[in-house]
Amino acid sequence: MSELTHASAPRRSIGGQLLGSSQLVLGLILAALCIAISIAAPQFYSEANIIAILRQCALVLIVASGMTMLIITAEVDLSVGASLAFVGCIGMAVLNSTHSLALGMLAALAFSGGVGLFNGLVVTRLRVNSLIATIGTMMMLQGGVYLFTREAVQNHNRLVSFTDLGAGYVGAVPVPVILAALIFVIAYVTLRFTTLGRYLYAVGANEKAVRLSGLRSERLKLFAFVVTGLCVGVAGMILSSLMNAGQPTAGRGFELTVIAAVILGGTSLLGGRGSLFGTLLGVLVLKVIDNGIIILGWNQDLQMVVPGVVIILATYLDIIRNKANVR
Amino acid sequence: MSLASTASLKDQPSMLARLFARQELALLVCLILVLAFFSVTVENFLSVRNLTNVLGQASLPLIAGIGCAVVFISGEVDISIGSLLATIALPLIIIMNDSNSLLLGVGGALLFGLIIGVVNGYLTAYAGINSLIVTLGTMFIMRGGVYLYTGQRAIPDDASLDSFIALSDGRLFNVIPYSAVIAIVLLAAFAYMMQHRPFGRQIYAVGGNQEVARLAGYDVRRVKFICFIISALLATVAGIILAARVGSAQHTAGLNFEFQVVAATVLGGVSLAGGIGSLSGMALGVLILQFLSNGLRGLGLPTEWQLVITGMIIIAAVAFDEAKRRRANGG
Repeated sequence: MSELTHASAPRRSIGGQLLGSSQLVLGLILAALCIAISIAAPQFYSEANIIAILRQCALVLIVASGMTMLIITAEVDLSVGASLAFVGCIGMAVLNSTHSLALGMLAALAFSGGVGLFNGLVVTRLRVNSLIATIGTMMMLQGGVYLFTREAVQNHNRLVSFTDLGAGYVGAVPVPVILAALIFVIAYVTLRFTTLGRYLYAVGANEKAVRLSGLRSERLKLFAFVVTGLCVGVAGMILSSLMNAGQPTAGRGFELTVIAAVILGGTSLLGGRGSLFGTLLGVLVLKVIDNGIIILGWNQDLQMVVPGVVIILATYLDIIRNKANVR
Repeated sequence: MSLASTASLKDQPSMLARLFARQELALLVCLILVLAFFSVTVENFLSVRNLTNVLGQASLPLIAGIGCAVVFISGEVDISIGSLLATIALPLIIIMNDSNSLLLGVGGALLFGLIIGVVNGYLTAYAGINSLIVTLGTMFIMRGGVYLYTGQRAIPDDASLDSFIALSDGRLFNVIPYSAVIAIVLLAAFAYMMQHRPFGRQIYAVGGNQEVARLAGYDVRRVKFICFIISALLATVAGIILAARVGSAQHTAGLNFEFQVVAATVLGGVSLAGGIGSLSGMALGVLILQFLSNGLRGLGLPTEWQLVITGMIIIAAVAFDEAKRRRANGG
């Protein structure tokens, strides 16, 4: 977890020092899951399956990286799912008309960054609670995408570089995984080793103190909103590349998966606490469960039930563990 | 949000009451403006038929909104209500199909709702898990459970009981839909509880400042626990009416319903920070959004525009409210 929680925790086990508090529980859950699934279905450890899991993780991890920063500053963004769909459509439309990957990416990032900026300005300037503000944005985007296009924007550009964005490989590693790793590392370093990262934690932990110490807390929150938006832009382009079309219906419920992964990773909704490493574990746990349900041949509707149980259980275990530590 | 919660601590009750009064006045003015605008632009907007229709449509978010507001005021959130609508329709329809009895079906649905409320309430109040996480979890679990059980197919109501169908299209004195009557009665009862009964005051106290409430001798956990049960039971009532309206148990019933209700509740001035807001405010919030979407439809705007405009209005209204609150607090 963050420096802040480390300072306040009275005693720490060696494991707790290595990993953060809740990461330990989560790591154990992940290990237990992997062992259990691989016993029941040995093909779990095949190269193809591991690559499939990583590719599934990539989209969620990219957006979750930004979302972790945002939730650490004590704000939240529910509009990422709707924005994901819209960005895919816009990106594909620009690609079709310009035949340039750079311009398509630029349009996608400009749009999603703009959505982030809008959310950030509404929250920091107009002081609207971010839960409500982003529900509002979600509605506007859901309506807006249908005004933009009634049906899927098909891929008419046939750009190889664009197809590679979702389906390509560098060596044995899929491109989306590399992009996700890149974004994750940048976000991790920013949060962990830079002053900016420490300020983000501080804003979430005690905004008033941050403001009194002369920092512009609004700017920091605005930054986190825009970063989340930009992450959505990257994820949206990857998704439309994978589907070979910009789907206005894509991304339904995506915001909840992302937030579930972040919360599962031990980031507090109250702000000031959390880590990207936890988010990585959270994403992995959710996607390994998804994968396990598929390769075990279980009913795929369980993919909604099990994560629900896991979120509650992991949080509860964390509370129990914290209580034991205090004693 | 922090400003709002400090306001509730500093101000005297009478001052607080005046603040509410002003808030509701502003909402009422909003509602009248919406009505005035559409009565000029949309033909037959102010007809008894249309007004009572909207009232009938508003009954679902109104009933669920009472629970949502009560939970908000206690300082927690409940976003599982959309999935709950789909969940409780299963026992309702299945029991009715088997027994041909509305009473047994409703009883079964309420029992399911009660269990869901107990689970949400226990995990939040006694196990100490953040309510957003709890209800996000139960939202997933219930929706997935419904998908699993139904195989993503609707279960039709084969019993077709007259009393059940009357819930959807019956009207009191042939004017007011029964669903609206139920909503109004529940609203009045709970508004009375919140303003004039000790338990209502306990909810405000717990949401306003948990520590102070605890020191005053209130059982904070019990209060929150009961709030979740209230929310689940009211959502159950809304779910029963919805099932009557669509004539089946739909696995997709209530998708995004929680967002609709949360938006209307916050629009009505109920603070997410707890301790602030009123049921009449929530009701005005619901009515404004319902008349708005009805009016926009009357203007011939596609549903997409309704979504866009509703989203903008929610943001604008809450922003306006925050600005007003800040000015009232002198900064």
